[in-house]
Amino acid sequence: MESISKISSMLETARDLTLEAAQSAGSARAFKTNTPLRKIPPLQLKKLLDSRNDRDVLEGLRKVISMMYRSQPCLTYFSAVIKNVASANVEIKKLVYIYLLQYAETEPDLALLSINTIQKSLSDKDPQLRALALMVMSGIRVPVISQIVSLGIKKGCGDMNIHVRRAAALAIPKCYRLDPNTLPQLIEYLNILLGDKQYYVAGAAVMAFMDVCPHRIDLIHKHYRGLIRKLVDMDEWSQLATLRLMVYYARKCFPRRKRKVKKNAAKDFYGDEVGDDNDETEEIQVLDSDLELLLNACKSLLQSHNSAVVIAVARCYFYLAPPEYIDAAVGPLISLLRGSQDIKHIALYNIVSICLVRPNPFVRYVTHFLIHATDPPHVWRLKLEILTILFPHCNALFKGMILSELEHFSRGSDRELVRESVRSIGRCAQNDSATSQRCLRLLLKQVSSTDGNLVAESLTVIRHLIQQDPASHIKTVIRLAKNLDTTTNAHARASIIWLVGEFAGIDPENNIAADVLRILAKGFVHEPEAAKLQIVLLAAKVYVHHLNRLGGTIQPPLAPSQLSDANNDGNTLPLGDDKETDAEGQTVDVNPYLYDSVARASLPQNEGDGEHPIIILWRYILLLARYDTSYDIRDRARLYKSLLANPASTQLASLLLLAPKPVPHAPSPSEYRKDFMLGSASLAVGEEGGLNGLRGYEPPPDWVEDGTQPDAALRQEDYRAEFGGEKKITTAGERLDEAAKTAAASSGSAINPGMNGVGVGTGRPSKAKTLDDWLAEDEDEGEEEESGDEEEDESEEGSEEEEGEEDEEEEEEEEETESEEEHDRLVK
Amino acid sequence: MSGGIEAVYIFDQHNNPILEHVYYSRPLAARDILPLYLAHPEPRPPLIYLPNTNPPTLVFSLIHDQLLFISPASVDTEPLLVLEFLHRVVDVLEEFLGAPLLASKIEGAYDVVAQLFLEMCDAGTVCNTEPNALRDFVDVPGWVGKLLGGVGLPVSSPALGSSSGSLSLQRQHGLAPSSTSTPALPWRRSNVRHTSNEIYVDIVETLSVILAPSGRPLSAFANGSIACTAKVSGVPDLLLTLTAPGGKAGLDKTLELPVFHPCVRLARWREQPGVLSFVPPDGRFMLAGYEVDLLPNTTGKGMNSASSLHLPASVEMKTSLGLNGADFEARLLLSTNFPSSATAGSLGAGARGGGISSRLGNSSPAFGGSSNQPLLEAIVVTIPIPSSVRNLTDLRASRGEAHYSPGDKAVEWRVSAKEAVLPNGTGGATLRCTVVGPLSEDDDNDLDSGFRLTADTVDYNEDTYQTSSLANATDNAASSKQNEQRDLRRIQLNKTLMPSSAAVSFTVKGWLPSGIRVDSLVINTRTSKGLGEGVKPYKGVKYLTVSKQGVETRC
Repeated sequence: MESISKISSMLETARDLTLEAAQSAGSARAFKTNTPLRKIPPLQLKKLLDSRNDRDVLEGLRKVISMMYRSQPCLTYFSAVIKNVASANVEIKKLVYIYLLQYAETEPDLALLSINTIQKSLSDKDPQLRALALMVMSGIRVPVISQIVSLGIKKGCGDMNIHVRRAAALAIPKCYRLDPNTLPQLIEYLNILLGDKQYYVAGAAVMAFMDVCPHRIDLIHKHYRGLIRKLVDMDEWSQLATLRLMVYYARKCFPRRKRKVKKNAAKDFYGDEVGDDNDETEEIQVLDSDLELLLNACKSLLQSHNSAVVIAVARCYFYLAPPEYIDAAVGPLISLLRGSQDIKHIALYNIVSICLVRPNPFVRYVTHFLIHATDPPHVWRLKLEILTILFPHCNALFKGMILSELEHFSRGSDRELVRESVRSIGRCAQNDSATSQRCLRLLLKQVSSTDGNLVAESLTVIRHLIQQDPASHIKTVIRLAKNLDTTTNAHARASIIWLVGEFAGIDPENNIAADVLRILAKGFVHEPEAAKLQIVLLAAKVYVHHLNRLGGTIQPPLAPSQLSDANNDGNTLPLGDDKETDAEGQTVDVNPYLYDSVARASLPQNEGDGEHPIIILWRYILLLARYDTSYDIRDRARLYKSLLANPASTQLASLLLLAPKPVPHAPSPSEYRKDFMLGSASLAVGEEGGLNGLRGYEPPPDWVEDGTQPDAALRQEDYRAEFGGEKKITTAGERLDEAAKTAAASSGSAINPGMNGVGVGTGRPSKAKTLDDWLAEDEDEGEEEESGDEEEDESEEGSEEEEGEEDEEEEEEEEETESEEEHDRLVK
Repeated sequence: MSGGIEAVYIFDQHNNPILEHVYYSRPLAARDILPLYLAHPEPRPPLIYLPNTNPPTLVFSLIHDQLLFISPASVDTEPLLVLEFLHRVVDVLEEFLGAPLLASKIEGAYDVVAQLFLEMCDAGTVCNTEPNALRDFVDVPGWVGKLLGGVGLPVSSPALGSSSGSLSLQRQHGLAPSSTSTPALPWRRSNVRHTSNEIYVDIVETLSVILAPSGRPLSAFANGSIACTAKVSGVPDLLLTLTAPGGKAGLDKTLELPVFHPCVRLARWREQPGVLSFVPPDGRFMLAGYEVDLLPNTTGKGMNSASSLHLPASVEMKTSLGLNGADFEARLLLSTNFPSSATAGSLGAGARGGGISSRLGNSSPAFGGSSNQPLLEAIVVTIPIPSSVRNLTDLRASRGEAHYSPGDKAVEWRVSAKEAVLPNGTGGATLRCTVVGPLSEDDDNDLDSGFRLTADTVDYNEDTYQTSSLANATDNAASSKQNEQRDLRRIQLNKTLMPSSAAVSFTVKGWLPSGIRVDSLVINTRTSKGLGEGVKPYKGVKYLTVSKQGVETRC
């Protein structure tokens, strides 16, 4: 969906906008001159900040914030600003907080002075202030306060107000970054928050979870179904995190089960009926009911106005579901192309990736990928690729459209676009043999163009096509050879000459190769270097064929392998690409003795034969090459000369020169990056980001082996579990903890087994209490009334709890539960 | 892939940094990123990878109203997450500072901007991007508040006094409304009050059409957006009904791939396509987006009665004209006989027309009558010129003005619709120009042909192998042939200098190519809260068709 700002700008007439722009520019200038923003003397600013009047302080703070954003030095005001943290004015407080977040790291000692006040705010009456305080406290990057932050989060987890609980969830990753040692505590908080009944909190908890410990899926099991239910209601950013989590979770927990199904029942596997009339069977992925829950919950997100969510759903379907699911996401993916240019670009990467695996559902949308003149290169490149991928799957009408589209762009003026479209034609031909004749005709038409660039590209592609099916292309080669008269592009000429050489051996009575060589020899001096190299090669090939024909009766023995080693450097390549086979593997046996004798014997024979035009031509070309300015050509000529020095032994030369060439296959440009996860930046960056993706990239995990997955019963939700905490089904590790606790409880005198704080010390490293902790705890006591209904879930944490509080607390809890329900009613 | 927003930098039109907000970790500073970003040749993709920085950085960028927004990331981050966030930043800043977004506005209200940035993203985790929810958290001080009011954005009710004052008062007493109630509707701020209750609906369709050289359309889409401005007190529950030619089935077929604001109840839509039931956010928002295939027959999705494509403006191109083939001609075809405009008049006239004109009183009074007769405006023909063209001479336009200066990428030809459209609703204009190619071509000519002519004329028959005898033409025959060839060659050369496409931009007010109309917009009084009796806030609907170089003709 287009952003509102864009649509608004369309609605407002241009005149209005410019008028207003001028106006506001004027007013801004006035504003600047009236209040000398930049020139305010430091002393005066300090005075403003020190003032008792809120208005002045606010004014001063605004100045400081402005300086901060302009990256002007304003560290000198640190103490003056921080002093105002205790102000009763919310706006002042906020601005101080903003300043504090930015500079606390550079002035840790002074920043610590403010912690106390902020901590007091944690128990403010106004929940918004509590949330804000928690957010700021956790954002101060001073590691020594990590324990205080952790305690603050703990308190926030139990807050009645969802904003505070959400702030607590969001504070968890910050606390983790501050001090990774707090992880065990943080995971406990997460466990509480993930189970929060409010999607507003649970969503934030998932975001925190993905940041802190994305692989601890054991925490997710019992919240899985709850999270899926809340998914639709969450805000878009939480949805993103949840969908990311679910790909990982599902791969780790739902093994891929296959089932043989009667073919005609393929569509029924969602329901229960399985037809049994047909004998054909098919393997089908069987969905776990929990996985199906997820996939169905995703469906309504496809209509989200956030493009990232749509891609995330597509990712879920792509990696988790049977292939049919992705079809539902195709339409919404296409609708992303309506968005702004940047979103379109990234969406196209993902579409290409899906297209490579499952092109069919995209076929009906093929007209969406036609290229507009306004598309920037990075967009048309991807569009062309999609067109070529879809090409074999289209009907005749669309095929015709795509080809004429490509033809149109191959005649354009943009070099890059021309090259890419010609290559696309080649890929179309290669993937769809039925139309390859038509593609070839299209390309041959281009060969006579005046645009050398286009000719060269076309020829390279034609060469690839011919190599795929040489037998049927003899006439094509003849036609190409005719073009040698007019073609001036070096690469184009080289390509043609190479092709002629490849075909030199076919139909010896009626071959043009020798004649082409004769004509080329005349203009050898004026040829570009690439063409010269190919002429020398052509001469060698023609000569070898000639020798082979002559010496048909004399079967020269096998060639010495040292020779082939020395010469086998792949230099016979036409355009420097690596399509040549390795001749080394084909040399078999060594028999220098025999070689010598035969050579001596055959030599006079050939000489006597003498002066066949091909031999003369060969000598002439060698002579020309010998005195060429390019050492590369001289070198090559010398190589062929020695290779063919002995007319009787052409075996080695044949191996080297006439080796069958492998059929080149041009992969789709995105083929190499299709393994990157959908929606990741690595997919968009491609090979530049490295083989394993960018830093922080994680591929989707492999499916868990059947039998090793966590028990499905773990996902069973027990509603009482959220409150009672005792009957809940837990992981094995938690069960152990539980056991240890109950043991401790039975030995100790704890009334409530969930609250036996003392015994827990055996399970985890006991924390050394700092003075701050004690202080914080004192405050805790005063604030217990704030704590929410999840208090009991925290029981495992309870080492700091005082037993005496319990009774009082339980009463409180009842109250809180009620009020919580009231919230729910309001929500509903 | 679990990265977040590390920082947001904003640069003004001269690429001076005007805002740096770092969220977490230590990303490259704005001044370090900018030259690396600018080093990338234009047009710059939205995601650039800088492998040689420390740490290697992904640069996400967005340009809006000449302001450049950049967000760096040092780990693999979902690109769309970052880009969507940047779009939201733009939206939110526009909402709070007023559109268009200008550097001076940001610089003048750093304190507001700072609070917004603080709320929108918490240490890299995007958390709150709904403008309505932000309004609950961020105070807008006096003069920006005035600015907000000035551009027509609601700033609470004037009856309550200035918004910031009352809000902060409430907060100090711990009575802030948002704090006690859970956000039942995350997108709607609490306690909305307006003295005059108004709702406006704007439907904008952006054309994207490609025509083959023959004039046959290859693809034709209209991308529709339904924008809504709701200034209604309380919690109104609205029901918007859309109609399209062809009745219910027609609507289902016309309106494809819809996308909705989270406030829209999807279930209702699925039951009854065309019915949008929602509780709107306060202020301006995008209600829905959709797409219309204007050529339903070609894609094989069944027949549709309204299959003929009507374009208010299109171009016809003729290239390689004149003696040397160096001229080209563009013919602009206009037609304002809109197929559905008759119904538009009968439906849209009356009360709605009044609403529209009163609303647009500040912009252009001519607009008021638009519901009666669609108005074609702002016609610009853009013809991209290949980079090898040195200059265009003889720009002869029968109407309007055409501009090209050497080095430009395209000819811009502006035509006034008033002049060009005849009373019968059709009209047109032509533009003819001559292309001047690069200087060196003619000199090259001889060199090239030199090679060609020294080689013997060889003719291979495709079936048999024969060599024709050597060229036996006499000298003078050769020279005349040479001249002929040179002419031919020149025409061929000029062919490469011809434009390969042309596009028209225009706007039509009061008409939509899809024929979609708003049938009714009613408030469900049973489920709405806090709205007085008998309030009929629906004020009007505006239809607009836009083509931003969207009607493209190949040639």
